[in-house]
Amino acid sequence: MHRLSSGGILPILALATTLAATPALAQESIKIGVPMELSGRFVAYGASGKRGVEFATEVYGGKVAGKKIELLVRDIQSESQATISVFNELVSKEKVNYIIGPIGSPTVAAAIPAWRQGKPIWLVPGSSSTKLEEEVGGDPEFFHTFPYAYNYHESIAAALKNQLPAGQKVAMIYTDDNYGRTHQPYAKKYLTDAGFEVVLEEIVRTNAADMNPLLTKIARVKPDVLLGLVQTTDAVTLAKQIYTRKLPVPYLIGTAATQLDEWQKAVGTAQEGWVGVTTYLPGLNRPGNQEFPKLFPPSSEWEAMFVKKYGQEPDFEDAGCYVSAMLLFLAIERAGGDDKEKVAAELRKMDIPNTLLGRAKFVSTPSGTKQQAFTDMVVFQRENGKNVMLFPPGPETKKIKAVTY
Amino acid sequence: MDLIPQLIVDALLLGGIYTLMVIGLALSFGVTRVINFAHGEAVMLGAYGAFTVFVAFGVDPLIAMPVLMVAGCVLGMVLFKVAIAPVLKAPHVNQILLTFGIGLVLQNLALVIWSPDGRSVVPSYAYSSFEFGDVVVSGGRLIGFGIAAVLVLALFFWLKRTEFGRATRALAEQHDAAVLMGINVNQMYALAFGLSVALGVATGVILSFLGAITPFMGFHILVKGFAIIVLGGLGSIVGAVLGAFLLAFAETAVSYYVPNGTGWAEAVAFLTLFLVLVLRPRGIIGQAVAD
Repeated sequence: MHRLSSGGILPILALATTLAATPALAQESIKIGVPMELSGRFVAYGASGKRGVEFATEVYGGKVAGKKIELLVRDIQSESQATISVFNELVSKEKVNYIIGPIGSPTVAAAIPAWRQGKPIWLVPGSSSTKLEEEVGGDPEFFHTFPYAYNYHESIAAALKNQLPAGQKVAMIYTDDNYGRTHQPYAKKYLTDAGFEVVLEEIVRTNAADMNPLLTKIARVKPDVLLGLVQTTDAVTLAKQIYTRKLPVPYLIGTAATQLDEWQKAVGTAQEGWVGVTTYLPGLNRPGNQEFPKLFPPSSEWEAMFVKKYGQEPDFEDAGCYVSAMLLFLAIERAGGDDKEKVAAELRKMDIPNTLLGRAKFVSTPSGTKQQAFTDMVVFQRENGKNVMLFPPGPETKKIKAVTY
Repeated sequence: MDLIPQLIVDALLLGGIYTLMVIGLALSFGVTRVINFAHGEAVMLGAYGAFTVFVAFGVDPLIAMPVLMVAGCVLGMVLFKVAIAPVLKAPHVNQILLTFGIGLVLQNLALVIWSPDGRSVVPSYAYSSFEFGDVVVSGGRLIGFGIAAVLVLALFFWLKRTEFGRATRALAEQHDAAVLMGINVNQMYALAFGLSVALGVATGVILSFLGAITPFMGFHILVKGFAIIVLGGLGSIVGAVLGAFLLAFAETAVSYYVPNGTGWAEAVAFLTLFLVLVLRPRGIIGQAVAD
């Protein structure tokens, strides 16, 4: 008769325990896919996005509806192919019910076919491209928590109308990529509607080394406002060459980079006077939410918590992804667990005032997105290395200043 | 008509930058016959080198440039001995894949060390400019042009008047005869490759205060650089200089006189490249390449 020794039985027991425990553990957690640009050209956005979601998870307590929040963070490398692979894995293999991210317009666009394989609830805290709206805006599982291109230009036009006399002349520079081409028609429409005269529209190649010919053309038409629809590295080159040349244009506006610490450090003194537009800025002093004071404290308190944890000020994607993750957690909580349909219904019903990005309520847009939140933007100006609010009108709003060299 | 003086100034200054970008490529190809797809990364490392010494030690990029160039030269020679020399007799495609791979490794190394954030160096002269009537001249670009001129003249002097330079030319023009004359081929190849990297580093130092520095900046430089050396003639340094100024004038003229012309700059480069390949494959002053 064989007797099992303790040395033989213990591994068997351990294996049995593990096998028994694995499904139970899986049931105890709620998986959320977090595909972000953690390397490549959009890493500044993706790194903030990851930070925002992780910070939200920590502040929420790590559990939702009694189950552990399991974040499946994946690097999509700012590349379309990697994005598709990651989405295939999250949707078809991991079978997640919820995805937050990515941020960049090209990566979000690349994710659409793979997302359609399972259609988990998809919160997109980025991409201002209206192509996204045309593709998936009508899907009941798609929740967009970032403004579209037209929201940017609606805000800029309103701010300029509020700050400058009517009939001023505007020159526009836009890159030949998806970003520039998407924004340019909206910029023209809203500025023209607001009574401005668009006197020059010039396209520029991305990564152009020399923008001087363009600046010469701009100087000749003597505009009052220059609007740069260009992204980070091109925005650095543009700002540096404008400053070097002392371009005689009183008001300079950048839509993509002015709020970024990266741009401000790269251009140094050339940032002075630039106007930017964004969803969130440190120092906004937004009030907290009374129903959820821990999740949505006043923005100054939240910023202090963030700085304490990460040693740096939050940027707009830190705040955007934090709020998006919080909304998902609250919807799961209200749905009573991991039921995709119920969670989607809870998100649609949600109406929470005073989050970091303002009122959280999903509404439909005239252009076809069924569930869109957070379209309010702030317009600000860089003054002595700090942000000064220009729009919306309020007690902290200041008068726009012309650029001086 | 009143745009012409500004056009000439802009094109000359751009041509200076382009020249600096490509003479290293032309030198290494002319001597070793290896097309270095990692040359853009030498430029990128030069730019980050300038950024690092400026931010960490407050050293002006132009003062740091000689030291950075020497470091680049040594690094290039080591890289040649370790990685390039073993594939000198391999098919061109193997060499291209190898140098392309080295470029990718360097890009990722830069990502890890400096992060992907766009950086820039802003010494006081970076934002200086001068006005002569209606013509505006950027101080930073003028400095870049001056340095390009000095380095090109120094390279020509080295090639024409020094023993190493003459040996390098002999290898480029008549490889077998040079070997029979007792020239140490591997040593000269390594030196030429090291010098080409040093020139790439110098380009990076200049670009560090003219535009934005990113780990991926090298690729765009490489693409433009190849268009220029094919236009000038592969392996010819004089051709590379001519190609740089021709392309700079063509791009600037299109930018000024064609609506949305700045968006067409790269198209001009590749249309020129296409025409040269069809009409005069050896370029303006090129050498025939056997395979």
